[in-house]
Amino acid sequence: MKRVFLVALLWIPLLCFTYSASAETFTCLACHSAMKGKIRTEGGVLIDVNVDGEKYSQSVHGGFDCIICHKQFGSNPHEPARITNVPQGIASLASKLTHKAKVDPVALAACSECHGDIYKSWQQSIHGSNVIQKKQSDGASCVDCHGLPHYITPKNTATSHINKKNIVKTCGECHENEGLARKYGFSTHILERYHESFHGKKYAIGHPNAPTCVDCHKYHDIKKWEDPMSPVAWDNRTETCGRCHKGATKKFVTAITHKPYGKDNPVPYYFEKGLIVLLLSVFAFIVGHVVLEAISEIRDKVLRKGKEGHHE
Amino acid sequence: MNKETPKEYLRFNTIERIQHVILFTTFLLLSFTGWALKYPEQTVEHSSWLVRIWGGAKNAGIVHRIAGITMLLDFVWHVLYLLYMLSTGKIKFHKDTTIIPLPKDVMDAVKNILYFLGLGKEKPQFGRFSYIHKFDYWAVFWGMGIIGLSGLFLAFPVQSSYFFPSWSVNWIWEVISIMHSDEALLAIVFILFWHFYNEHLKWNKFPMSMTWITGKISIEDMKHEHPLEYKLEFGDKGDNK
Repeated sequence: MKRVFLVALLWIPLLCFTYSASAETFTCLACHSAMKGKIRTEGGVLIDVNVDGEKYSQSVHGGFDCIICHKQFGSNPHEPARITNVPQGIASLASKLTHKAKVDPVALAACSECHGDIYKSWQQSIHGSNVIQKKQSDGASCVDCHGLPHYITPKNTATSHINKKNIVKTCGECHENEGLARKYGFSTHILERYHESFHGKKYAIGHPNAPTCVDCHKYHDIKKWEDPMSPVAWDNRTETCGRCHKGATKKFVTAITHKPYGKDNPVPYYFEKGLIVLLLSVFAFIVGHVVLEAISEIRDKVLRKGKEGHHE
Repeated sequence: MNKETPKEYLRFNTIERIQHVILFTTFLLLSFTGWALKYPEQTVEHSSWLVRIWGGAKNAGIVHRIAGITMLLDFVWHVLYLLYMLSTGKIKFHKDTTIIPLPKDVMDAVKNILYFLGLGKEKPQFGRFSYIHKFDYWAVFWGMGIIGLSGLFLAFPVQSSYFFPSWSVNWIWEVISIMHSDEALLAIVFILFWHFYNEHLKWNKFPMSMTWITGKISIEDMKHEHPLEYKLEFGDKGDNK
């Protein structure tokens, strides 16, 4: 009796799936959508193997069988995960990603099967080379920008991490991280300065033409700005800025540096301080004057009954 | 001087009134379209109501530019008009009618504040423009130069970059955008406090002085608020009535 009950319980999640997930996916999700806590891999890493089935079925990849990406689980899903029995290209790529993808490097490599060109340009990028060549586990791969692989939604949906409304925040996940900034030697002021700039302000109020990080720096094939291949390298800026600012010159394109105020950029820093002093003194004078005059008018009307000083 | 004293006195002619209407219309448009950019991080869901009432940031930007250009044209018209009036002798300089700040204005301000504090027995006697009016007028003049010029630079960034010397390119844009937004804040607060109190909220003006639309001021008010101009215009006799 108890056993029947358990089997019935296992079927409950299946009844919830009304989307396009395939039959095989149902089978995996029967367990993998109801798992609480984490499990320990052979390598000793704690991983989460639970998937929100409903959210998965609504994602762009929701119609896929699990094994399209999780290739090594094709025969016996619970054999210890090994990079075997998968196509040669994916296997060699996966072997370079073991430090990065703790759960399933094959699945991360499997992105390249459909998104081959993008994958190639990512490998050439500063993010990709950091993962593949420098073997850094905190370098950005597909899922770091696009979000958890099972829940990737189309670019134009609000939940997409690379939607225009979210992309700056997504870049900020790493580029505002103090630890990463110290490790890789970039400045955490960049986003702050972007938000203070006219581009950033226009972005914040939802201007459709406001550029975000990726409009100037590109994305999959992103390079360090000093790299001559980067669209924001000095030699490429007139062209990059010129896409919006027709006729941009060398002199014009120096406008944006994302440099912080202060020592590096003293003129605007002290200019702003000076203006604040001017503003506050004017405010103090006008507010003081208005308040004093109002009080004295009330005093004249009420206490001195309309007798004013100035005709005597 | 035995001029018949009329009941009202024409303080501002039609042209001056039209200039004022254009000025405040464009000022309000500029304030309401520009404010969202001053504190954009405060906006909810990428668009506050200040952006939404214009149908989005793009429209607000277009309205802002049109209003800005109109305001600058109004300003140019005003300056040319003044130059014409002065050169043809239709306006003559007199210490009691000029808008130009004079040492007397400083004395008036001190005297007035002492009166507010109960330390002076008399309010100062004002001419056509008191120090309060002069401050109001020149604040707009100053703002027009600072905000107008920086606004033109921001609206035409590529073209303006031709004029900037190469040693300034690393900081000039920061300075220009600070200039535009901080001075705009100053202008808005200034109008809210100074102009609104003095022309709308004051005891005898509430809800507003009608001079802006009729151009006229009653002789009683003129005697009371602009005694020096009154004396100049109608002589001492009128004062004895």
